[in-house]
Amino acid sequence: MITIKELSDDNLFTAGHTACPGCGVAMSIRNAIRVLGKDTVVYVPASCAVVFGTTFPYGAWKVPFFHTAFENTGACLSGMQAAFEKKGKKVTVVGFAGDGGTYDIGLQSMSGAAERNDDVLYICLDNEAYMNTGIQRSGGTPFGAWTTTTPVGNVVQGNRRFKKNLGDIVAAHEIPYYATLSIGQPLDFIRKVEKAKNMRGFRFLHMFTPCIPGWKMDPAKTVEVTKRAVQSGMWTLYEIENGDKRITYKPGKMKSVKDYLMMQGRFRHMSEEDIKKLQMWVCKKWNLHYKEKGAPDVCEILPPVEHHAVTEEHREMHGP
Amino acid sequence: MAAQTLAEAAVSEGNYAVAFPYFGAERRGAPVLAFTRIDSKKIFSKTQVYAPDCVVVLDDSLLDTIDVVAGLKPKGMAIINSREKPEDIDLGKIIDTATVNATSIALEILKAPITNTAILGAFAKATGIIKIESLEESIKRKFGEKLGAKVGERNALAAWTAYERTITGKSRGVKKLEARKQWLPTHQEIPVGGCLIEGKTDAGLIGPGSFIENKVSGWATYRPLRDKAKCTMCLLCWFYCPEGTIVRISDRGDLMTNYDYCKGCGVCANECPVDAIKMVRARI
Repeated sequence: MITIKELSDDNLFTAGHTACPGCGVAMSIRNAIRVLGKDTVVYVPASCAVVFGTTFPYGAWKVPFFHTAFENTGACLSGMQAAFEKKGKKVTVVGFAGDGGTYDIGLQSMSGAAERNDDVLYICLDNEAYMNTGIQRSGGTPFGAWTTTTPVGNVVQGNRRFKKNLGDIVAAHEIPYYATLSIGQPLDFIRKVEKAKNMRGFRFLHMFTPCIPGWKMDPAKTVEVTKRAVQSGMWTLYEIENGDKRITYKPGKMKSVKDYLMMQGRFRHMSEEDIKKLQMWVCKKWNLHYKEKGAPDVCEILPPVEHHAVTEEHREMHGP
Repeated sequence: MAAQTLAEAAVSEGNYAVAFPYFGAERRGAPVLAFTRIDSKKIFSKTQVYAPDCVVVLDDSLLDTIDVVAGLKPKGMAIINSREKPEDIDLGKIIDTATVNATSIALEILKAPITNTAILGAFAKATGIIKIESLEESIKRKFGEKLGAKVGERNALAAWTAYERTITGKSRGVKKLEARKQWLPTHQEIPVGGCLIEGKTDAGLIGPGSFIENKVSGWATYRPLRDKAKCTMCLLCWFYCPEGTIVRISDRGDLMTNYDYCKGCGVCANECPVDAIKMVRARI
């Protein structure tokens, strides 16, 4: 297994790209491609990653890069892989699709590629809404979150539906590898990308990538928010290898979901009632993933803990 | 939103007006454009404005890279968010200029560096096209219905404050701003299929990895300073940096920050386990 120190110094996704400061997607892409190495071919559908990574005539990728339409990540990956196989070239074909391009729009072609068990690596960068087009709700948007299509009004506040359980949908295709990743757990992140790289068949990596403008938060807190998501149970780290599910990181004690929510402007309007509703959903998920057989259900709600800010000036600039 | 508010204020005074933004990516730090047309007659023109009567610049760091008054009419006017006086601003031409420190007004009143309503106050003062009173009404209505009455009132106050603090004068016309070089290939020069290969043109690198040409340090309000004595070389900052500004040097024994590409997000400072990184103001 590679540690952070052993990671390559090659900048396969160069500096100078135009992502927002503190972008979680840029962070995840950079480190994924560091592990995958230069024998990689990248496909990106319509998403932020295509806008900030390749603006004609510039490009941040130093590996072959391909982009067409929104809904065909799976199909494109299959086609590219078939072409390389025919040519006798050994490359990792990888697609970086957003949550919109995976949960909703690209679901059918992803399902097709998974069903055929094509030898490709599919990476979903889940920032929980259509951020590139201006923050519209997607299937990945959690309960209560503000988006431009789930506004906060007097009667209804934010998204009323819960986040789609994509993990089970993908795993139901009986693919060799499905894993959830978070940039806040670097060793787990590197290990899973490396593992997926060395496997054959359809592999799916589900990355949790905070979006600064969409989540309305301080750019310095990108990593911290992913850590809090894991500690509260909003995001769980596990992998499913040939049908066997394994929890790869279990947070010590369950933290209140409020701790995670209050960092982000998109949740700040939430009423106590809504927070409780979301907490119940999280508890259910937590018990499903972490509870050992026969143990009692856990649903502990601890008071939120304050974390140190960067500097006074920084706080002044970006709010508490 | 400022362009729309301005248009609504003009309409409330009995004029015709249209306002629209330039469609771009929804991304922080990106230069954006918005247009407003005001007339006493009906407006049929739907295009972008190429030769405006008035240019409003919300960020004076743009003046170094873009010729903001390129299309301005000879008797036009520039309104700039800057701490400097009009006489100290060099636009490459001598034109009527008004300045106001909208950033400090916004930080003072709105507690956030959002300058669009303050600059509208400066617009009302400098041009006299609309009255500040109708602007105030328009701001209260527009921002009030979206963000609450309190926010509307505070934004109206920001506009009033800017109205009072606006300085008008003439800009200097010394510097020659070179148009940014662009690579404009003929159709024969573009490879088949729109595929872009690594290459070098008069305007710089193109193709894979060419984003290195794009210096983004202008985005940063803050930048990180690393205390070498405290640093334990855990490399978390190097791992987390979304830009790749932190690079390993001297045979992986040390780190260096390339400020040309730092956008000042502060992730490195927030995540440093030994608090060896501090964020300091990039430009005073």
